[in-house]
Amino acid sequence: MIINKNEIAGILTKLAEEYRVIAPVKKDGLVQYAAIKNGEEACLDYANTKKPGKEILFPQSEELFNYTVSAEGVRMQDNVDKEATIVFGMRPCDVKSLVLLDNVFKNDQYTDVYYLTRRANTLIVGLGCNEPASTCFCTSMACGPFAKEGSDIFLTDLGETYFIEGISDKGKELLAKLGLSAASEEQKAAAAKLQTETKADGSINIEGLAEKLGGMFEHPFWDSLHEKCLGCAACTYLCPTCHCFDIADEAKDCEGCRVRNWDACMFPLFTLHGSGHNPRPGGKARWRQRLMHKFNYFVERYNATACVGCGRCIKNCPVNLDIRQALAEVRALD
Amino acid sequence: MNTTEKIREIAKQLLTDKKVDLVVGFAQGSLPLRSTPYFARTPEQADNLIWSATCENNLANFVRKRSDKVAVIAKGCDVRAMVALIKEGQINKDNLTIIGVPCQGMIDRKQVCEAIGCQEILEATDNGNELILKGKGFEKTLAKEDVMFVSCKTCQYNTPVIFDELIGEALPGKEANYDDIAAFEALSPAERNAYIAKEMSKCIRCYACRQACPMCYCSECFVDCGAPAWIGKGAQRVDDNALFQTVRVLHLAGRCVDCGACERACPMGIKLSLLNRKMVKDVKELYGAEAGVNLTDPPALNTHKFEDKEDFML
Amino acid sequence: MRNPYLPLPMKLVKNFTETSDKLIHTFTLEFLSQEDAENFKYAPGQFAEVMVYGKGEAPFGIASSPTEKGILKFSVAKVGVVSTALHMLEEGTIVGVRGPLGNSYPLEQLKGKSLTIIGGGFAFTTLRSTIQYILDPANRGDYGDLTVIYGARNPGLLLYKDELAAWDARPDINLITTIDREVEGWTGRVGFIPTVTKEVAPKSDYAIICGPPVMIKFTLPVLVECGFTPDRIIMSLENRMKCGIGMCGRCNVGSKYVCKDGPVFTKEQLDKLPNEY
Repeated sequence: MIINKNEIAGILTKLAEEYRVIAPVKKDGLVQYAAIKNGEEACLDYANTKKPGKEILFPQSEELFNYTVSAEGVRMQDNVDKEATIVFGMRPCDVKSLVLLDNVFKNDQYTDVYYLTRRANTLIVGLGCNEPASTCFCTSMACGPFAKEGSDIFLTDLGETYFIEGISDKGKELLAKLGLSAASEEQKAAAAKLQTETKADGSINIEGLAEKLGGMFEHPFWDSLHEKCLGCAACTYLCPTCHCFDIADEAKDCEGCRVRNWDACMFPLFTLHGSGHNPRPGGKARWRQRLMHKFNYFVERYNATACVGCGRCIKNCPVNLDIRQALAEVRALD
Repeated sequence: MNTTEKIREIAKQLLTDKKVDLVVGFAQGSLPLRSTPYFARTPEQADNLIWSATCENNLANFVRKRSDKVAVIAKGCDVRAMVALIKEGQINKDNLTIIGVPCQGMIDRKQVCEAIGCQEILEATDNGNELILKGKGFEKTLAKEDVMFVSCKTCQYNTPVIFDELIGEALPGKEANYDDIAAFEALSPAERNAYIAKEMSKCIRCYACRQACPMCYCSECFVDCGAPAWIGKGAQRVDDNALFQTVRVLHLAGRCVDCGACERACPMGIKLSLLNRKMVKDVKELYGAEAGVNLTDPPALNTHKFEDKEDFML
Repeated sequence: MRNPYLPLPMKLVKNFTETSDKLIHTFTLEFLSQEDAENFKYAPGQFAEVMVYGKGEAPFGIASSPTEKGILKFSVAKVGVVSTALHMLEEGTIVGVRGPLGNSYPLEQLKGKSLTIIGGGFAFTTLRSTIQYILDPANRGDYGDLTVIYGARNPGLLLYKDELAAWDARPDINLITTIDREVEGWTGRVGFIPTVTKEVAPKSDYAIICGPPVMIKFTLPVLVECGFTPDRIIMSLENRMKCGIGMCGRCNVGSKYVCKDGPVFTKEQLDKLPNEY
């Protein structure tokens, strides 16, 4: 199917009457996901959002439940967000990150109700990348500028128009309701060409990397890697696959709530025991954890690499600690 | 010999003569307009050291609480931080060799980005006064002084205030200029509130500002404290984010060396140095004190003078 | 979908000061509903998140045994925000409990086997659960000889003193208690756990060991000397935890989450994991 770019805003406005529509929006110099009522607010001419798409399903701060304590006992109210949502124009790397996070938030014993309920009620419209940035290496990460995995509907930018594909049943159903016109053979061919030929320049060979890292826990490589790291959480908070969180209670008198906030393996407090013992006491252990988690532990657990190659950690690191170089160094070791 | 070559020569000599165990400086970064802190431990590694207008990090962060002998390639603001840290007992001056570099100011990538419509830069060349930036389908030349960090534009201490060796000629210091702060002060309280709320709404509480600040070294930061929990840990409340910065700035009163490392580190582009500079200006006006400008003045908060303003007391 | 983050309400029926330094209290909690009591099926070695309303929650090993119906017991040292708040709670207060969490000691696999249980300090909690479970008349016949070595710095710091006395009087358990330094009136052994273990030289099919890291470190070689192979040494790890369900990411050792894949591991399993706990 095909749609003229100038029709998008109208469709989004209409969809916003029925759904919560979340799209990239330009605000205060940053492109960020936001709920919109008017389709004109959506900014689809962007490289990638500042904050990753995970924040839609796994917000930085979220109230899990609240409670009131009284003489009669405790009343609890959980806050599962069930609103039907359309995310419009998410880049394939961020969409892929959600596929990876699905592994985390549902394991063989437990389901994270908050994430999974949102996930079930959210339809994702992916948007291919015609011009990946120089920091992008999605093509090397089982993803790519036109990877459709995880999208319900997928858009390919053909200049004046978007070529639209229904990927999942949910996506196809919505498309059927929109009554769009069919794409011409030329348009189909143009889309196919873009989709197959566009590649992210950055390439990292991750073949055999997990196994290699598996034998490297005690390697001297870790002694210096972290040396310039400041120990902030810019890389992890802006990473679409980093999912560590903290749980804290915020309470006043008899009323309180339990919130979860993003947390980061880069912080000393993250693993500090009550006794004062810290199994990951310094930058060395923390950087080892960060790389190992993404490229070894996650692979071992879920058979996938916890990196989609979006390049946010590279662009946002205050000291330019480049994960591509770290991986290349690992690869170069005997 | 240019600055980079001189740095390498001195670093090599220090390492060869085993006068130091380590030289902390900068190496070429992995992206255009980026350099990266570098730790040279052998004369060969010293060849990776560079100097450019992108050496933006404050290296004082890497010389705190060390037991080894360290040389550091330091610009004016780095040295001010080191001086302040020496006075606070965080750096043993006997183990530190300062190779000072007079600094003409560092380039602010965020301003560059705005100046070129945030197109992606694939290649950047520095010809002294200008930057030539190339990307897919564009080439643009910018005057360096137009895209310098705010803290560099107003820097009065381009030349390190102390050093063991100085590379190149000392630069004349600029006149104090707090026009940006005066403009902020001239706003109504409501306008100032709105401005701060807008900036703080971007905060993701990654603490890059705190970690990048050479003077923020508390072993437990008040934001991390669980008992009592002084502040909400989430980023969704603008008030909590603003409280975090407010307490941080107050804690830096008389200690902030106005290097702007906090603002440079912020991935969200929050204009953090505004608050710091307001405090720097106030401390200077009220108490005539500036942090880290010499080894002799006691830290502002450690002294009391008769002429100190006390009108905040009842 | 059951929400694993929501605590069950329970009533604190006993807040008992367990040790002479008053730093460890044992809390007995009662289920408010019969239904919750029946649904809360746990095995010795598991833990739960205990919540003080308004303060937060923290993970503690379950000290009661499933054979003690309708209640849960936790012995908690006063170290953090939640444990300090717990210590100050009045009996009758409603608290929240999330669990049971984690795996348990492999008591099915241990049927028909003789056991040595070694504990030090206040890490004795889930071991109490295990011993209580095995000593229950319904289960005692399923297990062979039971040797228990339990030590604390001084007699006042031993947990469950009444129960220790009762076990000592039974013929079907060989209880050895020890303290670090001689104290007047103490009739048990004196010496650190590794030394005492060496003297006792237990011969059992399996050993379960739980205690402070330094005790574990020096006792493991003794157990190996006594002939326990790594697959027959069972340990319980502690790490900082939040979610307790394998999601929040902080308690991992290698690719294993202590909260969900553990806390119980054999030495054989731990030997294959990075030494980061």
